[in-house]
Amino acid sequence: MSSFKRKVTNKAALPVPGTRTSPASSSVTTISTGIPSLDDVLGGGLPLSCCLLVTAPDLHSSYGELIQKYFLAEGLACRHRLCVVDGQPKDFVRDIMWIPGQMKQQVEKTESDEEEDSSDRKVKIAWRYEQMKPFQTTVSSTPSTTDSYGHPFELSIRAPASLIDDAFCSGQLSSLTIEPSKLDVTNLIRQLEDKLQSDASTPLRICIPSLGSPFWGDVTKRELLFFLHSLKSLLRKYPHGCASVGLSPHLSADNWGGAGWLQKLGWISDAALSLSAFSGDVSMSATFPKHHGLVQIQSLPCPATLVAASDRFSVLRGLVSSSSGGSGENNLAFKCTRKRLMIETLHLDLEGGVAERRTTALVSEVFNAKSSAAMATGASVRIELEQPEQQEIAKVKKAKKKSVAFDVYDF
Amino acid sequence: MLAPFNLPKGILLLITDELAAPADFLLHRSLISHVKETNGPTKTIVLSVSEDLTKWKAVASKLNLNISHQITNGSLEFIDVMKHVQPDFRAPAPRETADLHSPPTLRPLFDLLQTALHKPDHGDAKLVILDDIATLEWIGFSLLDVSRFARALRCACLKAKATLIIRHHVVTPGDPDDLFRHLLQMCTYHLDVRPLGSGRSGAVSGEVALHLGPSTPVGGGVKLIPRSAALQYKLADNGPVFFQRGTGGGVL
Repeated sequence: MSSFKRKVTNKAALPVPGTRTSPASSSVTTISTGIPSLDDVLGGGLPLSCCLLVTAPDLHSSYGELIQKYFLAEGLACRHRLCVVDGQPKDFVRDIMWIPGQMKQQVEKTESDEEEDSSDRKVKIAWRYEQMKPFQTTVSSTPSTTDSYGHPFELSIRAPASLIDDAFCSGQLSSLTIEPSKLDVTNLIRQLEDKLQSDASTPLRICIPSLGSPFWGDVTKRELLFFLHSLKSLLRKYPHGCASVGLSPHLSADNWGGAGWLQKLGWISDAALSLSAFSGDVSMSATFPKHHGLVQIQSLPCPATLVAASDRFSVLRGLVSSSSGGSGENNLAFKCTRKRLMIETLHLDLEGGVAERRTTALVSEVFNAKSSAAMATGASVRIELEQPEQQEIAKVKKAKKKSVAFDVYDF
Repeated sequence: MLAPFNLPKGILLLITDELAAPADFLLHRSLISHVKETNGPTKTIVLSVSEDLTKWKAVASKLNLNISHQITNGSLEFIDVMKHVQPDFRAPAPRETADLHSPPTLRPLFDLLQTALHKPDHGDAKLVILDDIATLEWIGFSLLDVSRFARALRCACLKAKATLIIRHHVVTPGDPDDLFRHLLQMCTYHLDVRPLGSGRSGAVSGEVALHLGPSTPVGGGVKLIPRSAALQYKLADNGPVFFQRGTGGGVL
């Protein structure tokens, strides 16, 4: 037996629950955003003392707010302190998702996973490829058992009201209500500073679900940028805090604050992501039927290093996948299933992006349509003779069927 | 100064960068090389708008330099700009024309810099770094104030024979903004840091071109780098590795 012993330091403090040391720098602590794939894109999680800005320019969906809800739910589950800044903060908090019970927790796979599995089973794979790992488009969402970092939230389950009430009573959860008539950005920063000063032992998550929404009144672009800049400086001053800010959809458009608006936002905040949903764009949703929108990265956090941790450690972005390091960045998209929101790498489908390729209508379809149109015309003539009351209905039917027949001939 | 470019001292160097290829590494590198490579006493003043001292310390420690020591002995002064001046972000439209009656809002900062530059206990090797002038304009200082401040900085540095480095963010590539035009007119050299047109890559972080300022006479022993033959770099935590386009060798 060797007489040498490894030097063990007993001074190392126990890590705070829900935090991890960043893989890029030992001096940086990260927290989870609640979405494992988003953590991966950020390089292992959001570093403390940093501010994440999420823009979602689509007016018809609220994926940006969904990310904020995940951020809150994760903080609640990790027993971090939370501060919500909004027009109706209490209503917003009551709507967050939660972890399924023990029975459900064992069933981890999503619907889509199951579908893929069943389809895989049907396909006979050549023996030399059979042992290969299936192609993955996102990172694993199984939580680690050693530390409570990244909980398996399900969108179908809502956080129990009693839990939220308890969190409000104990002071774990606090809120700042925005009143448009009294909005003062410097005062708001001061209030946030008070919150940050009060307790430095537990991380404080500041969540602003919809910055610039009608509750904030008429904010100017300078006011907005000043607020974000001050928030960033404030977090640097109190490194146990971090913030996740969602920008109101109408402010997230690229030209709202003049040319280069999103670029400015990217410079002002530590990490800036844009989730542009397809709901307003039919052609994009037809091209990528399995995804709900694109994810664009403006900037990534690097609080203590020159290179962002994400460049070195993100699996999804794939800058490090090749051994020589010469690979390009993957395109990213997001998908929201019944159970969870996830970020995936974006690929075209097997048939070039369209699930079902149709160039011309099938001949059998045309014949069916023709015959049904002919039948309908015949029936309407008969009714016209028998029942004058039904004449109008028949005319309507006739008109409809005629249009179908017309379409068919035209086609 | 700044190893592959070998720029002379006492100049105004304008560094522009884009979001996909930030030029932080050049600022950190210039500070570190100034402290390490200059013989005799030095004086460095960092006017910081967007980054705090912690990051400067962390990056310097990766390059084996403990700047806490420099701060203690006074050879490095770190000035947090936002502690000394506040913008008027509520103004509906910023002042763009000369208004002789209103005082310049960045005056306190300039006075602070003047005091720091003229402290007698340090040598002639002086370096002033303004890490982000674009943000000053974005958060509410008027273009007039910011461009006046830049001009005053240049004069103060010329008088004190100090090198001045100003970093500006380009948010609309191909369509230069007004502040950039002002700065370009004043600068001696312009380092243009840009991302690759083909997107982010694991092997090449970006490219750097070096241009001569419009009012600088040609010559002076500095090899200029046009955009068409820009020097590419790969960024690591211990600094960048520069290489010619397409000749990465071990890098590519």
